[in-house]
Amino acid sequence: MKLKFKIILGILSLVLLAQLIRPEELSSVKTQPVKGLAGVPEEVAKVLETSCFDCHSSQTSWRWFDRLTPANFLVASHIRDGRKALDFSQWDSLASPQRNAMLYFALNGMLSKEMPLSSYTALHPAAKLDQKDIDLIRNYLLNNAVSKPASIESNSMGAEKPSIMEVKKTPNGIAYLPNYRNWKAISTTERFDNGTIRIIFGNPIAVEAIHEGKTNPFPDGTIFAKTAWKQQQGKDGSVYAGQFVQVEFMIKDVKRYAGTKGWGWARWKGENLLPYGKTVKFDSECISCHRPERDNDYVFTRPLDIRDLNKK
Amino acid sequence: MRLTFTAGAFPLIILLMTGCKPNATDRINNAASITSISRLPENPLEMTPMAVSLQPKAKTMSTLYGNSIAAKRLRDGAYYAAGSVLYLVTWKGKADPDWFGAHIPDRVTAIERISFDQNGQKSYTFFKGPGWDPALDLKKNERLIIILSIPIAKSP
Ligand code: HEC
Ligand code: HEC
Repeated sequence: MKLKFKIILGILSLVLLAQLIRPEELSSVKTQPVKGLAGVPEEVAKVLETSCFDCHSSQTSWRWFDRLTPANFLVASHIRDGRKALDFSQWDSLASPQRNAMLYFALNGMLSKEMPLSSYTALHPAAKLDQKDIDLIRNYLLNNAVSKPASIESNSMGAEKPSIMEVKKTPNGIAYLPNYRNWKAISTTERFDNGTIRIIFGNPIAVEAIHEGKTNPFPDGTIFAKTAWKQQQGKDGSVYAGQFVQVEFMIKDVKRYAGTKGWGWARWKGENLLPYGKTVKFDSECISCHRPERDNDYVFTRPLDIRDLNKK
Repeated sequence: MRLTFTAGAFPLIILLMTGCKPNATDRINNAASITSISRLPENPLEMTPMAVSLQPKAKTMSTLYGNSIAAKRLRDGAYYAAGSVLYLVTWKGKADPDWFGAHIPDRVTAIERISFDQNGQKSYTFFKGPGWDPALDLKKNERLIIILSIPIAKSP
């Protein structure tokens, strides 16, 4: 009996002592309320504020149980990682296409059932989303943020190709791959969230892996290239690929790219193929948006099976 | 005490394991892949993709493919030379189940083939796809002109 009492007392004092160790975030960061999301209806802003702002903005409200060590470390890490992936505090500094992109990103986080984190809603039931909340945001985007193709007049095609140019490596050290236009198309997508039209190319290793069903994981040597063009209105009512926007690559090499989920991530933008990204770790942005596909080797595309019709 | 703990932990672990998302086995877009259209002389999906287009009214999306002679146009912009073979494959579009904001190909509605013989004479062949919509009335002469004037998707 006495021993049991001592043990309990010991544990209790440990827990109390532990409270002295706290994550920096708890003391250093003052939570600043984010002004309501300008330009969106109040109900839409409300959903995001109640369900997402605790981890995706500087406006965090810590409940008493969130402040206890060790829970506070978990909460602090959620906020740190959460804000890295998506930060509504930047809203006011964004132009409207970026704001819309942020809302599409947020909505897809909800639709994939990843967000808000279920460990969080268990303790903060008010943050749980129901279908009504999700439909509210979906309908807002469909009615206000569907990109339209550029009109016929603004056609800037036919511009001569700049002759041989030197394309710089991306900040994570990946060299440009100029031959992807000879690869096969494993899919195409129309993106009405940002008004582009895309071809997803697979190199021969990718195409064969898809045909043999070896897609999870894809074998080393697999490369995907995704090109995006602005949608361009044609005279006949069809929409065509207009101005070139960017090309992105995912290059599979489990060892070499062990730190970035087995893939090398690269993007070059515009006619001048400027490498995208400011720091070596720019690719965390790619990974964070591809994360809902982590059970599918981080690949979104549901590819076409390309087979030789003569071989049965 | 210990026994009840272990006995209790096991179902919990199994529950956690089975609660995880099962590995999606088939991520291949089989409906959109060309596998069942007979009489096709070659598989257009094996050729070089040259252009893409959308038909908002019909809610379809198309890709223009070319054989190696036709694909020269990608590099030099010159008109299709003798020996060129072009395919326009058109799919019904559907919502991307993984990304709200995208449409991806569903069933093939039509495949159209244009070939240039050694004298540059064009011939047009139409193949009905499993997703064919009879409301779409494709007239041979119009189609030749439309397909041959599709702007190439250029990249630097
Ligand atoms: C308890 C904290 C928490 C809440 C609440 C929360 N998130 Fe997150 N969110 C995170 C963390 C942590 C990550 C980073 C995950 C990683 O990179 O490992 C993240 C990542 C994301 C991503 C990037 C893609 C992904 O799935 O990893 C999106 C999009 C996102 N959150 C949207 C939302 C939206 C929308 C809400 C509100 C409906 C929300 N989140 C609520 C913690 C949270
Ligand atoms: C806002 C979300 C988002 C971000 C950020 C993002 N991607 Fe993607 N990515 C997608 C979606 C959605 C697809 C599916 C194809 C489509 O509809 O565009 C995709 C597809 C791809 C593909 C084709 C293979 C596949 O997974 O389907 C490549 C290659 C790719 N992305 C590279 C990148 C690179 C490199 C970066 C970072 C520089 C990046 N992505 C950042 C959303 C994103």
